Amino acid sequence: MFKDKVAIVTGGSRGIGRQISLMLAKNGADVAFTYLANKDAAEEVTLEIKKSGRRALAMQVDTRDFDKAKEFIDRTKQEFGKLDILVNNAGITKDKALMMMTKDDWLSVIDTNLNGIFNLTRNAIVTFLKQKSGDIVNITSITGMIGMARQTNYAASKAGIIGFTKALAKEVAPYNIRVNAVAPGFIGTDMVAGLKEEYKKVLAENIPLGRFGVPSEVANAVKFLLSDEARFITGQVLVVDGGLSLK
Amino acid sequence: MPGIDAEIKELIATIIEKDASQIDPEARFIEDLGVDSMMALEFLAAIEKKYKIVIPEERLPEFITLNATIKISKEYLDNKK
Repeated sequence: MFKDKVAIVTGGSRGIGRQISLMLAKNGADVAFTYLANKDAAEEVTLEIKKSGRRALAMQVDTRDFDKAKEFIDRTKQEFGKLDILVNNAGITKDKALMMMTKDDWLSVIDTNLNGIFNLTRNAIVTFLKQKSGDIVNITSITGMIGMARQTNYAASKAGIIGFTKALAKEVAPYNIRVNAVAPGFIGTDMVAGLKEEYKKVLAENIPLGRFGVPSEVANAVKFLLSDEARFITGQVLVVDGGLSLK
Repeated sequence: MPGIDAEIKELIATIIEKDASQIDPEARFIEDLGVDSMMALEFLAAIEKKYKIVIPEERLPEFITLNATIKISKEYLDNKK
């Protein structure tokens, strides 16, 4: 499906990003991914990608760092010769009631989740514009659409990503570049592992399909949006939440 | 580099579909000539292709007027020598 394409995934060593990296490799793409701190996890993903017979490049990048993002994109193009796909997945949470939230809690989430998308996409977009092709998928969250208590910082960053996705989709459509977003609900990753079991049970009961999702279910949505099957789809947000956000 | 100025002027005139004689070298592309801001990329790509040079994308925001574009292009043409 993505044979011989070159893909970039941010936050590719764990959770949803890991699954997206493996999905891309399994479907024929060479994958360059960033990780923030967990080198062991990055090495494991690198190995898995190589097992699929594809090339892998892992680089420690804090997506808040514009210059480092540029270095990563340049290195990917240098090592793999081109760039076709960008999946902006890296994100963090610092959940707190607003009255307890520090300025740093606010800024670090906005900086990583939203500014990070600017940093990566800004450094990749000219390549896409010049070659008049490219596909971008941004991972947002249903929190950015319906809001969740104690996530004002995360929700604001994710709502920002949706605005970014739609604006950029319109801007670059004449250049044959598509920009879409995937909005997961509760997915069984490290990000929700910290929640209390009791709270998780209550949350699952509120999901019409009765359970948390798994990372591969998000990766499948990303696969569709990046594929030729979705060639007439741009600027959209595909919700993968078991019906949680349904009204 | 005789002729470079005229060549780049002609290249840009073709892209923005104007007669070269209509382009004041100091006129701003967007504000004065009504050029879409995305066209800067077309200018850069066309100049790169014609002269087989690479102009770093960081310079794109400086493509404001014809004279500015010629000046930047010459920097990279000089480096090529």
